[in-house]
Amino acid sequence: MKNSSQQLIPRFNAVERAIHWAVAITFVYATLSGLSLWSRKLYWIAGVLGGGVTVRAMHPLISVLFVLAFGRLFLKWRREMVLDADDRTWLRYSYKYALKDDAGLPEVGKYNGGQKMQFWAQAALAVVLLCSGTVLWFPEYMPRTLRLAAVLIHPAAALAAMGGIIVHVYMGTAAVPGSLKAMIRGVVTRRWAAAHHPKWLRNLPQP
Amino acid sequence: MPAVQVAKLIDTTLCIGCKACEVACQEWNDQEFTLGTFGGTYQTMPQLEHNFWNLIKFNERETDAGMSWLMAKYQCMHCADAGCMSACPAPGAINRLDNGTVDFNHDNCIGCGYCITGCPFDVPRLSPTTKKVYKCSLCSDRTAVGLEPACIKTCPTSCLTFGSREELVRKADARAETLKSDGHKDAGVYNPVGVGGTNVIYVLKHASAPEEYGLPKDPTVPWTVSLWKGPLKWLGTLALAGGVLGTFFHYVRFGPLHEEKEEAGDEKQ
Repeated sequence: MKNSSQQLIPRFNAVERAIHWAVAITFVYATLSGLSLWSRKLYWIAGVLGGGVTVRAMHPLISVLFVLAFGRLFLKWRREMVLDADDRTWLRYSYKYALKDDAGLPEVGKYNGGQKMQFWAQAALAVVLLCSGTVLWFPEYMPRTLRLAAVLIHPAAALAAMGGIIVHVYMGTAAVPGSLKAMIRGVVTRRWAAAHHPKWLRNLPQP
Repeated sequence: MPAVQVAKLIDTTLCIGCKACEVACQEWNDQEFTLGTFGGTYQTMPQLEHNFWNLIKFNERETDAGMSWLMAKYQCMHCADAGCMSACPAPGAINRLDNGTVDFNHDNCIGCGYCITGCPFDVPRLSPTTKKVYKCSLCSDRTAVGLEPACIKTCPTSCLTFGSREELVRKADARAETLKSDGHKDAGVYNPVGVGGTNVIYVLKHASAPEEYGLPKDPTVPWTVSLWKGPLKWLGTLALAGGVLGTFFHYVRFGPLHEEKEEAGDEKQ
């Protein structure tokens, strides 16, 4: 059983999973409430979330929780997410990965280049969203020039973050079966690890 | 037949700075007067407040004959192309009445303050207590029953008149011509085209320098607001929908990634 393809290998511990889901839940709320204020055609979402006044009050508060949770995750993962030479090569040919023609791609460690870029991009966007969001949060105290910039920057950064998360959710569920379990139960099968993160599997300390 | 567009005409040459319009506005709209900043001038306060919608700006102009007042009543301009309406996310919070009035409905206002950013005249103000935004309503509760706005009603010098926009524009033009023939070569009408014209129009003695009256020169809806509520909204929404559909069709075309490798991983064992 020890080396069987179905052997379960720990990938994320309980703390990582808990923080990840705190990030995810607050992100989903921020996205839905943000979209409700983005277009009048989507304002019905505000109704579902308790009305426009509630959304206007809660969007920034929940978003601050998101930034705090993400900040914790950032501190935990930032060293593992540093890109190495293999990751850069992998990224250059990542279109082949998307087209399922990835025979020549370098072996992947615990995270592939795409996952690492997702991490850094979301971190950068979180900072941009926090800054521009603070300007929109307290318009009465903010200079007009900042507000005029923030009304463009905040939604643009949010769109980029949502775009990234669409890919992230797709990769974590349908596109790569077995991934979701890593974030729910914390484990993956040996077969999964060998297929997607062989370098990580090889370098795991042997029990 | 479209409803008659109304307007307020402010002939600044007839303003004597009595502030009766300020008081009438406060009274009719039942606003509590809160003492603001004293700026060392005759002006009641430096700028509009959430509970002070009508302010005469006492602008001082140095001339060869000494100082002269350029008094201009300041309030919501009720723009044809209203930046506040473009920016507002809450349906029904800012309404365009049939007569052209831009009217805030505080039941629907969520207090986001986007209208403050969208307004090129810096008019709407957020109330710290109710967390909703306020401005001149053109006394929509009076005009609805055929009365003129409170400020117009009280003005003792006919500096303020109210009526059909078309007629008042004609009247303003005629007044500017009279002023010109009286020797005020720079006289003209302030009815800025950048916001599609306004339902509050001014006759100015120095029409080439509206900023001396505290009025912005060539105001327009800020371009970032237009971009945000125009192309960015449509492109962004399309991009999001494209992302969702894109991943779906990726799955339809390619299915789960790496199935073959999983088999290979099996063999290795």
